[in-house]
Amino acid sequence: MKKTLLSTAAAMLCSTAAMADVNIGNPLALTGPIPDLVAPMAQAVDLAAKNINDQGGMFADGQALNIIRADSGCDPVAAVDAVTKLINVNSVSAILGPVCSGAAIAQAESVSIPAGVTTLSVSASSPAISTMEDGTDLVFRAAASDAYQGVALAELAIEQGITELAVSYANDDYNAAIAGVFAEAFTAAGGTVTANEAHEPSKASYRSEVATLGATSDNLALFAYYGSGGITLMRNALETGAFSTFIGADGMLSDEVIEQLGAENMTNVTFTTAASDDSTPAFGAWQALAEGAGIPAGDPFVPNSYDATFMLALAIEKAGSDDRASVSAALRDISSAPGEVIYPGEWEKAKAILADGGDINYEGAAGNQDFDENGDVAGLFSKSSVVDGAWAAELIR
Amino acid sequence: MWDAFGFEFINFYFIPGLVLGCIYALGAIGITLTFGILRFANFAHGEVMMSGAYLTWTVMAIITSVLGIAVHPLVAAVPAGLIVIWLFLLTDKYFYKPFRKADTIKVVMASFGMMLIIRSAVQVIWGPNQLTFVQGIAKPNTVLQSFSQSIDMLLLIPNKHLFIFTGTIVIVIALSYLLNRTRIGKAMRAVSDSPDLAHVTGIDVDQVIRATWIVGGACAMAAGVFLAMDIQMLETTMGFRMLLPMFAAAILGGIGKPYGAVFGGLVIGLAEELSAYPWIGDAPLISPGYKTGVAFAIMVIMLIVRPQGLFKGRSF
Repeated sequence: MKKTLLSTAAAMLCSTAAMADVNIGNPLALTGPIPDLVAPMAQAVDLAAKNINDQGGMFADGQALNIIRADSGCDPVAAVDAVTKLINVNSVSAILGPVCSGAAIAQAESVSIPAGVTTLSVSASSPAISTMEDGTDLVFRAAASDAYQGVALAELAIEQGITELAVSYANDDYNAAIAGVFAEAFTAAGGTVTANEAHEPSKASYRSEVATLGATSDNLALFAYYGSGGITLMRNALETGAFSTFIGADGMLSDEVIEQLGAENMTNVTFTTAASDDSTPAFGAWQALAEGAGIPAGDPFVPNSYDATFMLALAIEKAGSDDRASVSAALRDISSAPGEVIYPGEWEKAKAILADGGDINYEGAAGNQDFDENGDVAGLFSKSSVVDGAWAAELIR
Repeated sequence: MWDAFGFEFINFYFIPGLVLGCIYALGAIGITLTFGILRFANFAHGEVMMSGAYLTWTVMAIITSVLGIAVHPLVAAVPAGLIVIWLFLLTDKYFYKPFRKADTIKVVMASFGMMLIIRSAVQVIWGPNQLTFVQGIAKPNTVLQSFSQSIDMLLLIPNKHLFIFTGTIVIVIALSYLLNRTRIGKAMRAVSDSPDLAHVTGIDVDQVIRATWIVGGACAMAAGVFLAMDIQMLETTMGFRMLLPMFAAAILGGIGKPYGAVFGGLVIGLAEELSAYPWIGDAPLISPGYKTGVAFAIMVIMLIVRPQGLFKGRSF
């Protein structure tokens, strides 16, 4: 009797697993140093899933696309835990995320690559991700590498007439990498880096760091996450008058910075970030969708999040099953030419073409989203400075 | 401005070190008292600091919205402190009391659990985002600046640091009065020195334990508010980040010795900041990225060379 019960239970479990919907794991840095930046990214992911499910869902029988969210906390350890759970317990078909480079690298190296699961990060931008794979083709990202952003920022600094500056970067994968690229590009463009020091994130005071660097220059290139020391370091620099001009990258671009430091103190601050060209038809399509759902369309990495979700779903649809092994190749197929061009939100159209055996080429809100051999995409950048108490972004051309 | 006498050393290394030292010192008092009297390393101590700062922020926000006036954090800290102490007496009664006769390691693990519970509760109530404690940039005190300039120095000390220095001195004096002149303070010291002997001489141990929570909680609360005043923002791991240096301070001073904790806190705070000063040549002696390591190096050396600490505390 006991045996019968057990085998019935086992059979029931198997049958529920077989008729399961398509599951995508979505580790995002919901807590940690940048929750403000991540909240609209999560909304964009949900919007993409909603659009897909509203327009016929996955496969011929209209299975639902489930986004299974987990908290990767912008932290390598938390990301490994979260992704291990998603892959082993939730049996997801692919990983969408994580947000931060350190988290993305750690989870890929210790969990998703060994398990043969494709990762499509929505925003991890460290140059180290380009070259991390050895023989596999499982790590992709829908945001441009900082190998480009560091150069763009260096050119911007030169353009602003800054000839010498000090560099301070938080000691993590993302900030150390972009600081390295920036310093090299800045020196190559004729600038002088007077000092280049790492700082430990999340300290209560950075006054000695500020002093060491401040004696060498009035301009600071700051690479940090706003929530783990970036704001404190800027505050210490402003309080003591050690620096007057600040430049930096997306980790610092948050309304939180203005709110805490006060707009009147931020007259000479410019931060760059990945941006979208809002004149493309793809961005127009996205903007209409985002505005309908109340999501800030142009915020950093928000269009990238939508693109990444949409592309993973297209790849699984193209592969014809939620088998993990087929996602990677299908992802390359649906994102690049040749094929009918698909814009954000056009799920029904794409689904019909794929059902007829046709080819598609997704053009994303954040860019054309054509993956190169490293799984990277090209991208545009914008510079933001404080105008009337808020960040005003301008595309760098 | 960089040429004024001792400008860089005093303003960028010594004063920040003192500020950090004051915060460590107040936190370490609570740790050393719980370690000495309740006999366990309280991992939840950093979260007491953090929740105290959050409650202070809330009191400030409520007063501002109801009365329309901005109050100084130190004023708001008083009612917030009463709430924190009351909360921690409740946790002692319902959470730690059942563990009183258990092995030390169980209580330590329980306090670790309490740490996670408090942090998660704060994240649920106030959210995971940073909160602005005091907006804007704290400019140096102008009176002090012009006075020091007239004697060829240049002191850049913002008011918030003057408040932190004064507050710490007042609290340490009050604490020394309590421990040396009052009955309960003497009982606390007696229990810390030898609980069995104290018990047979008729000291009410339960009352001493309550007093320990109140004194330790009040100091932690002050440390948390001072920390929030210094960094001007709140986030949920701010207390935890201070926890290990505070343990280092308590061990340096000697477990169970409140004066040792104050001294240890100042030494650790100063050592962390001064280690980055360019003592030799132009480069920092130790890269500022490794400041935290200095506190631990001191702790490890102390544990090897003199485990009872500078002030002859208990060694384990």
